[in-house]
Amino acid sequence: MMRRVARWALGAALLAPAALVLADPPPLPPYQMRAPAPAGNRLSPGRDGKALFENHCGYCHLAAGMGTNLLVKQRLAAGAGPATALLANRDDLTAAYVHAVVRMGKGAMPPQTRVDVTDSELDSVATYLGRGK
Amino acid sequence: MKLVLPPRVGPKAFDGALTAFAGVVGKEWVMAGDADRDAYSDIYAPGPADQWPASAAVAPGSVEEVQAIVRLANQHTIPLWPVSRGKNLGYGTAAPRMAGSVVLDLGRMNRIIDIDARLATCVLEPGVSFFDLYEAVQREKLPLWLSVPGNAWGSVLGNAFEHGIGYTPYGLHARNLCGFEVVLPDGDLVRTGMGAMSGNHAWHLHPMSFGPTFDLAFTQSSLGVVTRAGLWMQPAPAASLELVFDIPNEDDIGWVIDTIAPLKIAGTIDQNVFVPSWLGKMVLKGQRHDFWDKPGAIPEWRVKELLAQYKLGYWQVALRLYGEEPVIRAKADVVRAAMARHLSAPPAEHWWHAGDPMNAMDTTMGVPSAAPLQMSDWVGGRGAHMGFSPVVPATAEHVMGQLKRSRAIIAAHDVDFYASFTIGGRFATNINMLMYDRDQPDQVANMKRLFSALIGETAKAGYGEYRTHLGWMDTVMDTYDFNNHALRRLNEKIKDALDPNGILAPGKQGVWPSAMRDQAKAGRV
Repeated sequence: MMRRVARWALGAALLAPAALVLADPPPLPPYQMRAPAPAGNRLSPGRDGKALFENHCGYCHLAAGMGTNLLVKQRLAAGAGPATALLANRDDLTAAYVHAVVRMGKGAMPPQTRVDVTDSELDSVATYLGRGK
Repeated sequence: MKLVLPPRVGPKAFDGALTAFAGVVGKEWVMAGDADRDAYSDIYAPGPADQWPASAAVAPGSVEEVQAIVRLANQHTIPLWPVSRGKNLGYGTAAPRMAGSVVLDLGRMNRIIDIDARLATCVLEPGVSFFDLYEAVQREKLPLWLSVPGNAWGSVLGNAFEHGIGYTPYGLHARNLCGFEVVLPDGDLVRTGMGAMSGNHAWHLHPMSFGPTFDLAFTQSSLGVVTRAGLWMQPAPAASLELVFDIPNEDDIGWVIDTIAPLKIAGTIDQNVFVPSWLGKMVLKGQRHDFWDKPGAIPEWRVKELLAQYKLGYWQVALRLYGEEPVIRAKADVVRAAMARHLSAPPAEHWWHAGDPMNAMDTTMGVPSAAPLQMSDWVGGRGAHMGFSPVVPATAEHVMGQLKRSRAIIAAHDVDFYASFTIGGRFATNINMLMYDRDQPDQVANMKRLFSALIGETAKAGYGEYRTHLGWMDTVMDTYDFNNHALRRLNEKIKDALDPNGILAPGKQGVWPSAMRDQAKAGRV
């Protein structure tokens, strides 16, 4: 799946002239299933950050999601590769930044409520996206 | 977000109410911090979001907890604003109509209670998203399809409760609802339809009650909190064929409507047919400044250039047929012949057969996506949109009249024109998307003037909106004026009878309980 997503993002990039206008959008990938919500109490720490990311953030941040599509343009403008439009491929995110964006919003992204993502879930997601940093 | 308390409730009493709520749901599910109030605000608010401030939110996890919260709300006279998942984007998001209301967030109640593949129904709680239901169907490999709206981030039931539409044969979402469980404003619990009988097996199959049928009275409504509902689904078809017609000129919409609506009414076409204007395609190609770098509306000559450059018609009809392949072939012959009377270019045709992949954004095949929200990025900045959504008869004269009227008003306000007509059969829903940057006060002020002008002029011509943003709920309800606003008076009588303290969604859709009617002037745009 990841290779297919990267190829789609790359296709979008190749078709984007300097002004980042997508002259003819590339064929869309198939729907990407999110991971099911991991078992356990939503208020308890330590649940699987990758699964939580997919389940709660996957509405927009998997292949062909709204957030991914908007980030393709932003990443290209920043001189980064289009595959980094997928947050799971980023190596420059920090847990604190993820916390801030999720709770305060960013651009078209609205702030997420604590029913959308609990504080414990956000901790797990932020650790996953900011892994190793 | 600044803290605005509910009317006539002091700080100590408010804290007491929140403590009582926490005793029911646990303190973690009572959300009353500054960031919480921001998260429940209208992210697409035309102007400051603090025009419609929630004081807090509470999230019950079961019907019993909903009942307990509603009873406490009566005791403490705390107004509640129920939301399913709170993603009513363009119409107010999760924010309440009345300042100081506590959002009753039902997002935790997200159980898919049942899916019956034989009779093509499901039973859902309000927190179930379109993505949740779609994935449950996929995981079980059930032969069922969804009907999804443009923004599928939200709740399946919430969208149907707000009379949202989709683009499949099941696109009139409120029509798919069958059999509700509802917490009434006094905390009592009622089941509608056949569910009024304990253990009845046809609750979510037969859509009427013994006696008056109340189901739809609980949609766009402040009369109860729906805690579960049945929903009819589309049986997965064996095949589908998409016919894509590019329609060259603005005025062609007249013959398009007169061609497609009779086929839809007769059943040859069973889908809700979505006919967007050209800007619907451009918003996916880039941002406004990529195509036109001046502040006013894109001029006609530039529109013509863009249509030629990107090989777009003024409108596009991407029509889809569903079913057994021989039946689809026969229907497609009828559709092609009808369209060929006005259009020489044949349609692009795309077949799909069971087992073929579907792309991630195909709303006409019930695949949920939030990507259409990208249009909010069109103007840049903190992009936002509002939808002006009148309903018109599905005939050329009514559709052309509506098009010319709204087109002229939108042009007079120097705003880009992006309209769609969704042909639902005997009527068409005309959604005019108005996109703006929330941080440009002049743009916001212009958008508000434009929206009010559209409502007023459209009503004078004899058409009403099916749904609207919080700030115009009273204005739109005012347009339903037959017999000295008899519909609103009826709504108010029922509201006062069921909700004497006025604690449930006061002001929703312009219906104010006596107990809160003194608040009705605030929050209007």
